[in-house]
Amino acid sequence: MRKKLSVLTSLVLITAMLLSGCGSGGNSESAGTTPGNASGEKVKLTAIMTKHPLTKPLAEMEWLQAVEDAAGVEIEWQEITTDYGQKKGTMLASGDIPDLFIGPNVITDADFAQFQGLFQDLSGMLDQAPNVQKMFSEKPETKLIATQPDGKIYGLPKYQRFWPSTGTRQFINQKWLDELGLQKPTTWDELYDVLVAFKEKDANGNGDAKDEIPMDWPGGIGGYFNPAVLLGSMGITLSEGSSQGYFVEDGQIKNFLIDERYKTMVAFLNKLYKAGLINPEVFTHDYTKYQSIARGEGDTAKVGFTWGWVASDRFGEQLAPQYVTLPPLKVTADYTGKLSWSYDYYSLNYGTNHVVMSAKTKHKEAAMRFINELYDPKVGIQALFGSIGPNIQDHGDGTYSVLPPANPEMDPGTWKWTSTMADHGAFYIPDDLQLTLGKDMQEVLGQSESLEEALKVDLDKDVFPGLFIKYSTMDNNTMSLNNTNVMNLAESSFAKWVTKGGIEGEWDAYVKEAQKAGITQNLEIMQKYYEEYQSKK
Amino acid sequence: MRTRKGLVQAVTRDYQLWIMILPAIIVILIFNYIPMYGIQLAFRDYDFSKGLTGGEWRGLAYFRQFIDSYLFTDLMRNTFLISLASIVLGFPAPIILALILNQIRRKKMKQLMQTTVYLPHFISVIVLVGMLNVLLSAETGVVGHLMKSIGLGHINLLASTGTFIPVYVLSDIWQHCGWNSIIYLAALSTVDPQLYDAARIDGASRWQTIRFIDIPALVPTIIILFILSMGNILSTGFEKIFLMQNSLNLPVSEVIATYVYKIGIVSSQFSLASAIGLFNTVINFIFLFAMNTISKRVSETSLF
Repeated sequence: MRKKLSVLTSLVLITAMLLSGCGSGGNSESAGTTPGNASGEKVKLTAIMTKHPLTKPLAEMEWLQAVEDAAGVEIEWQEITTDYGQKKGTMLASGDIPDLFIGPNVITDADFAQFQGLFQDLSGMLDQAPNVQKMFSEKPETKLIATQPDGKIYGLPKYQRFWPSTGTRQFINQKWLDELGLQKPTTWDELYDVLVAFKEKDANGNGDAKDEIPMDWPGGIGGYFNPAVLLGSMGITLSEGSSQGYFVEDGQIKNFLIDERYKTMVAFLNKLYKAGLINPEVFTHDYTKYQSIARGEGDTAKVGFTWGWVASDRFGEQLAPQYVTLPPLKVTADYTGKLSWSYDYYSLNYGTNHVVMSAKTKHKEAAMRFINELYDPKVGIQALFGSIGPNIQDHGDGTYSVLPPANPEMDPGTWKWTSTMADHGAFYIPDDLQLTLGKDMQEVLGQSESLEEALKVDLDKDVFPGLFIKYSTMDNNTMSLNNTNVMNLAESSFAKWVTKGGIEGEWDAYVKEAQKAGITQNLEIMQKYYEEYQSKK
Repeated sequence: MRTRKGLVQAVTRDYQLWIMILPAIIVILIFNYIPMYGIQLAFRDYDFSKGLTGGEWRGLAYFRQFIDSYLFTDLMRNTFLISLASIVLGFPAPIILALILNQIRRKKMKQLMQTTVYLPHFISVIVLVGMLNVLLSAETGVVGHLMKSIGLGHINLLASTGTFIPVYVLSDIWQHCGWNSIIYLAALSTVDPQLYDAARIDGASRWQTIRFIDIPALVPTIIILFILSMGNILSTGFEKIFLMQNSLNLPVSEVIATYVYKIGIVSSQFSLASAIGLFNTVINFIFLFAMNTISKRVSETSLF
């Protein structure tokens, strides 16, 4: 998502587009024609889909054609994979938008507030969408996610049910452990010893004692696959990746970036870094490089201990069997408090604003028919895993199973992303639908087992219900500005302390700075909304 | 009265020229002057339903917010440092290069040299930063290995607060020095060859011809370009800095332009972003104007 235009140019562009937008409103065909497929003629709609780079053209998805036919519409798709954030800004500011948007949080709540009148309020049209109504009644929380503070519904959520409670799993190379006669670590100190052995004893046995990378992550602090999960060793339950540090403990909103336990963790990471146990490029490499290093060369693994979604995705099909997952480690051998992890069930299974309609569209009924078809459970599984036929087998008795990839060299995760909208779609998969999952999902669930104990958390008191809370525009702006400033400080301090140390001396000044930069204000805002949410529940 | 008459006369007399320049005037008017009314966004809340001009008037609130903001001093310092380093090191480089190239006698050789030093200018910023990443990587890069082998130890040039500015400025000089020297070479080509011949007959050395013929010939060009570059003192190039940013060099690499991007485009706070942008422009203008005035007094060369 790197950008090409200078900001000033963008602002000028926005201005120019606003100017031109004023002159040419409503360029669609005559408003008199009644939409509908009574005459057999399809209604033409335009739509934007933000899709994954792997995903094939939408026109090649059989299920999607069937959905369009059933709704009596013909959609002209615009498919965006990169730079959507910037394109969206200029597009919304110009007011020249397509009839439908599909994608994860494709238009945010903040956009709804800022661009009032641009998007269609669907709350009055739900009687035209029985499938959506069914989702709202079967899963009331989906309605909560969709409803704005003023009761309007602009974006519809998705629910996909099968995903595990956490996005991050902790892997260690079992083959290396066996080779060196070591036990799986259970505490930080044991982890340290294991990593030292990995580094010094040519763990992958290729004769080069220097090519092992004992520990690796994608860089920075916060988010998925990040060492912040080590905070679980001291009882902190992260949620939804906690990419900006916020978490809940006993009903109190806190931020780990200014928590003493974070200090302990950073000191530990610095100890590892000093001993050469962390990939020295951890703060400069990009995600692609991070992925490719872990995939090693042939049978030779390169990375000893790391975090990821699932072994086959992180290390490739060939190396994946060498790795096992670990439960959270204890901070010290005599630690008796609770162990926790990152609880991401909501963000993995629910999604907010996955389909949004323009208020200007001439064919609202037709667009609603299409949306209703998308939320058909049988369409839902196809949107997520692919068309019935090549990707899913229909057993004819109401049960389905996900088929392995047609191309045996492809891993099932990649296959899923290639053949369909996957997690980016807008759909509903009810809890009673009988679908046997593919190998990758079974793998994810299997590899999550070691974390199950740690994820038995108090959902009311220890998990921030981020998805269900809607902020006012002003609070949203304040928080995002504060977070930009806080993360600027936190990112660079974290990187410096891990690589060079010095947290002991600088901690107090840093905490004060961070509070000044806006953490305190954000905590107050979030606490207020959190309590309001709890009291209404 | 005289001036007005003079203006009318000038226009009627040179009307062919005015017609020729008219398209340029119209383009500038449409794309540079009319959009300027958008500046008021910096003084208003942005309200989509009411357009650019419809939001509530907030006066200088957004400017105050920026100046009070926690990052203000850092941003100003970083932007100044990077610009200053670029000007101090980057400004003389093409002049020196032009003087050297001008000394090459053989025409073929001179052309070859010129073309070679121009070429890096045409590499896109993305590719250039990619090259820097590959070459300077402490683990796998050529420069990293070189430094290790001559005993400089294990320095990641791209990920340290101390080396970010040198890497940024030096790579910029490498890339644009040749291209920027064109204008100086053009100025040097206007020097009367008889001057060189006369100097040589008087026994001037190569260094002396540079000092007493070439440099004086370049001074007006140097001053004009210097004034122009002062107008950019706070507009560090956005792309390259943004692409080179990582969490280890962030304390020195966060500049006004990258911050405006993060606030304006990523967090959709258009009013605050315009205020910061306008603030930046005003400071640039002050510098430009001050330099122009000084130069007018001192050397009688000026832009306006």
